[in-house]
Amino acid sequence: MPLCVLEDVKKTYRIGEDEVEVLKGINLQVERGEFIAIMGPSGSGKTTLMNIIGCLDIPSSGRYILADKEVTHLSDDELSVLRNEHIGFVFQNFYLLPYATVLENVLLPTLYMEHSKNGLARKRAREILELVGLSDRAKFKPNQLSGGQQQRVAIARALINNPDLILADEPTGQLDSKTAGEIMDLLAKMNEQGKTVAVITHDAGTAAYARKTLRIRDGLIVD
Amino acid sequence: MERFAAILQQSILAVRAFKLRTFFCVVSVALGISSITIIVAATEGAFKKAFDMVALFGPDSLLVISGSEEARAIGQREKTLTLEDVQAVREAFPGAYVVAPSTAMPDTTIAYRDKKYQSIVVGSTSDFSRAWTWPVVEGADLTEDDVRGLRNVAILGSHVVDELFGDEDPVGKYIFVKGIPVQVVGVLSERGTTPTGQNMDNRLIMPITTVMRKMQNERKYVSVFRVRFVDQNKLIQYEEELRLLLRQRHRLAPDAPDSFRIISPKEIIKFLAALTGSLVVFLGIVGIISLVVAGFVLANLFLLSVRERTKEIGIRRSVGAKRSDIRLQFLGEAVTLTTLGGIIGFVSALGASRLLTLIAAFPIHFSWKAFVVGLLLSWFVGIAFGLQPASRAANLEPIEAIRT
Repeated sequence: MPLCVLEDVKKTYRIGEDEVEVLKGINLQVERGEFIAIMGPSGSGKTTLMNIIGCLDIPSSGRYILADKEVTHLSDDELSVLRNEHIGFVFQNFYLLPYATVLENVLLPTLYMEHSKNGLARKRAREILELVGLSDRAKFKPNQLSGGQQQRVAIARALINNPDLILADEPTGQLDSKTAGEIMDLLAKMNEQGKTVAVITHDAGTAAYARKTLRIRDGLIVD
Repeated sequence: MERFAAILQQSILAVRAFKLRTFFCVVSVALGISSITIIVAATEGAFKKAFDMVALFGPDSLLVISGSEEARAIGQREKTLTLEDVQAVREAFPGAYVVAPSTAMPDTTIAYRDKKYQSIVVGSTSDFSRAWTWPVVEGADLTEDDVRGLRNVAILGSHVVDELFGDEDPVGKYIFVKGIPVQVVGVLSERGTTPTGQNMDNRLIMPITTVMRKMQNERKYVSVFRVRFVDQNKLIQYEEELRLLLRQRHRLAPDAPDSFRIISPKEIIKFLAALTGSLVVFLGIVGIISLVVAGFVLANLFLLSVRERTKEIGIRRSVGAKRSDIRLQFLGEAVTLTTLGGIIGFVSALGASRLLTLIAAFPIHFSWKAFVVGLLLSWFVGIAFGLQPASRAANLEPIEAIRT
């Protein structure tokens, strides 16, 4: 069974009187251990697709199965648990808490675990910071770090709960090309160590790191 | 439980991070809590004071004072009570275990060797100590023989001893009272000052017979007399009966005012309530208004904060926070702030009340009760005014929160 299965997923938004169909029937499978890129221009529906894959939103129709669980009809609380246990997000703007230290930011997902093991979490956070090359920055605040370092913290945060899927939305959008390359190398390294990685991007250079690329246009996968 | 603690830790982190918000919320809550704390402490202080005063006065006692209220108001000291009145009361009330008359001579010069001092000479019976629950701590009490024999003896208040004798032992020594030699037989225990600032230890007690005959040239009238009853529960009834008896004896017309005043413990409490009542009402209004204002300040700052921190909420939701986690965090922030405000309010109330007692001799008593009331109120404000912003934060959709 693949990690993610989307069957004829449609998503409609209501904007005032109008209904806008953003996703028009997506069929998609992501196998465990894959590194895929979903490419598309802005307005193509790739962000909506990411929201659904990341359990931030649910389809209007169709089915979505994540790690053998039917997501389609889950409640808000159940979606939160799924995100916590199965998904690690990496965002374009890093999205770190400005008032928390690097270590506290990395530990954030562990606060919301159903069965938390706080003592173990701190040890694990330090290991992961080591892995992303920031073990000497644990006490720093995000604004004391460079963009590339902040994105590494975000990746460490995405890894802390040992999720099935790393979901990165334009992870290099705010970075210069050299740093972007380093971040993509790091994601590739995670993939080599067994993590499933999905990157949503409009940038071909970023997508090139993936082993498989899907293109989305006007709410449909085109190849 | 671990999750609960972890989320409250996040609240504290935010309280420390958003310092300006913290400052305004804490100050406004502290203002309200401190005035309410003072009210609680003042009310308690008044009760305690009333209790102490009643205990000192004697909860089973009545004091009957010569002269009508009207005469007293214009500064006259007419004497209307007689020794026969006292005797009649003694006979009419078998339930009274002490009926003790006394007469007072204020501003009397007393002297020991070359030292002179102005004091109050109180003429009383051998019941004085029992009538006022005021023990003789050195030497001996007045005896019935002292009273019957018009002896020149006195027991001294501790202040008089300090003024005239210093460290010397006064018992057995002779002093001059209005030029008459008087032997000191005993010393009264220390009693302190009255709420009106009168030093109660500045007095000496002599047999009433000696004072009336030898110093006042008086055979009939006394200043006051005190009655103590075995059953203090019937005090109100006794007071009424005593009033009727005295009116009858003084042959007062039905519409004439009393020619005497009866002081009961009830009256002391009334006096104290009048003293503290207006300030308590004023502070109460100030306290409630400032707490409501504090609540709105809190609610507004929190709504602003929720709007400002939409992205933070989105981040937390995306890593798995439930709506209830977000609500708990923001409520936790509100309650942490109001608790801080409550504690600071309590501490500043301690300071402010010290000032109040200094400038107005206002009875204030702090206890755990004032603290608990303040703390509960601050929690109430935190929850009541924090709930709406916290719910707004919790109800943000994660995809919208993360996109802003």
